[in-house]
Amino acid sequence: MIAQLRSELHKQRSTRTSLLLMAWMVGLVVLVVALHVLSFGATDLSRQSNQMKILGLGTAIGALFAALFGALSITAEFRTGTIRPTLLVTPRRTRVIAAKVGASMLAGVGVGVLAEALTAGGEAVGLAARGVEVELTGGDYAQLVAGGAAAAAFFAAIGVGVGAAVRNQVASVVGLCVWLLLVEPLLLGDVPAVGKYAPGASAGAVAGAIQSQIADSLVVPGLGLALLAAYAALVALAGSLLINRRDID
Amino acid sequence: MRDTTPDGLSRDAAPRVERALRATRLTKRYGDVVAVDGLTFSLVPGTITGLLGPNGAGKTTTLRLVLGLAAPTSGTAAVFGRPYRLLEEPSRRVGALLESDDFDPGRSGRNHLLALTLAAGVDIARVEEVLALVELTDAADRPVGTYSLGMRQRLGLAAALLGDPELLILDEPANGLDPAGVHWLRAFLRAFAQAGRTVLICSHVLAEVAQTVDSILILSRGRLVAERHMEDLPDARTLEALYLSATTDEAA
Repeated sequence: MIAQLRSELHKQRSTRTSLLLMAWMVGLVVLVVALHVLSFGATDLSRQSNQMKILGLGTAIGALFAALFGALSITAEFRTGTIRPTLLVTPRRTRVIAAKVGASMLAGVGVGVLAEALTAGGEAVGLAARGVEVELTGGDYAQLVAGGAAAAAFFAAIGVGVGAAVRNQVASVVGLCVWLLLVEPLLLGDVPAVGKYAPGASAGAVAGAIQSQIADSLVVPGLGLALLAAYAALVALAGSLLINRRDID
Repeated sequence: MRDTTPDGLSRDAAPRVERALRATRLTKRYGDVVAVDGLTFSLVPGTITGLLGPNGAGKTTTLRLVLGLAAPTSGTAAVFGRPYRLLEEPSRRVGALLESDDFDPGRSGRNHLLALTLAAGVDIARVEEVLALVELTDAADRPVGTYSLGMRQRLGLAAALLGDPELLILDEPANGLDPAGVHWLRAFLRAFAQAGRTVLICSHVLAEVAQTVDSILILSRGRLVAERHMEDLPDARTLEALYLSATTDEAA
């Protein structure tokens, strides 16, 4: 198991995919934070709840890119065919999936911290430039970074499960984007009583905010964490079961 | 490890020689299409066997079944006495080169081998050994996407040899190799078999196979239609005649 984990960590570092994903994420965070800080009026910006909502963009972007990171760890192997040598060396496929979940969760922590820290830093710089005072506490920031890291780690595991189940790279990436950027906001907006239990909303609960949703519309952080862990376990398990049952072409 | 009957008694009374590979009534169906049809054969240690047949005869499907990438519809394939997927440290027992060009074009040759070596639990010094063996050391840090077909073929062979296996399974191994490379491969396989190890080669290049193997299996439409020792086939022309009659009979 340790051998497979080391192999997966080596795979992460030995192509440019990880670096490219991170570059895309940094660019997206900077763009989105800049747009929000520049487009809000000064009075709106000075409200604590609006400052939280901007931070929530970091949670959403971190969760999305962590999920993509996880999904690519397996769909890239199906796309290039390296899944065959991988499974010849480790024919017990559950071990391969477990190693990918472990390696992607480790990367997810980094992705989450980077996304949240960059969002918070970008927002602070933007507010200072516009002469608006930061109304957020050290506790808000601590929850944002720690919660965002945990949420991104679980989303990385969800990504591995989705990738193992779907196998096709484009379909997995589009599916994850549609879910997080389209379906979840709709759920939260139209049926919040149900939507607040969804994975993205749970990530927001853990980190303190996601997209335009803040604590009062979300579940308590502890429940959010438990829900995320349950989703990650379920999706990874489903991916593992499917990859064990199906033939490799 | 020992074969047991359903009531749990071991069958040591009738010990069998452990074959490197044994397929028993191996069958694979895809809907109405039977890709592999009741295939039974085994490989004797210390020999090179050629698995021949036209495209679509079921050669590659057979390899995927043997290597645990696909599950048989019925029948069994055992490698050193057990299904591939149940082997502990399979790279130390079986090395396989498939025809499907399984590399990430953005990863270097050395990193491709390193990732596999780490998972296999093999000493990473082995990476440099196999790179030198297939003469890829100088190109090892280049992305595989820049490799020629012959170089990718040699990298695939290096990957198959990482665990110093006892059984080599090669699908069209001479594909893309220059004449010197083919000559080297033939000598290498000969030495490999003389050391008591086993080789299975899939190919449809009869002339190449005739010079390399000890015996042949001919597949047609998923069935084993001929099985011969090379001593019984004095020259390449006899092999060709046998191949043509074996693989065209049913099509008529």
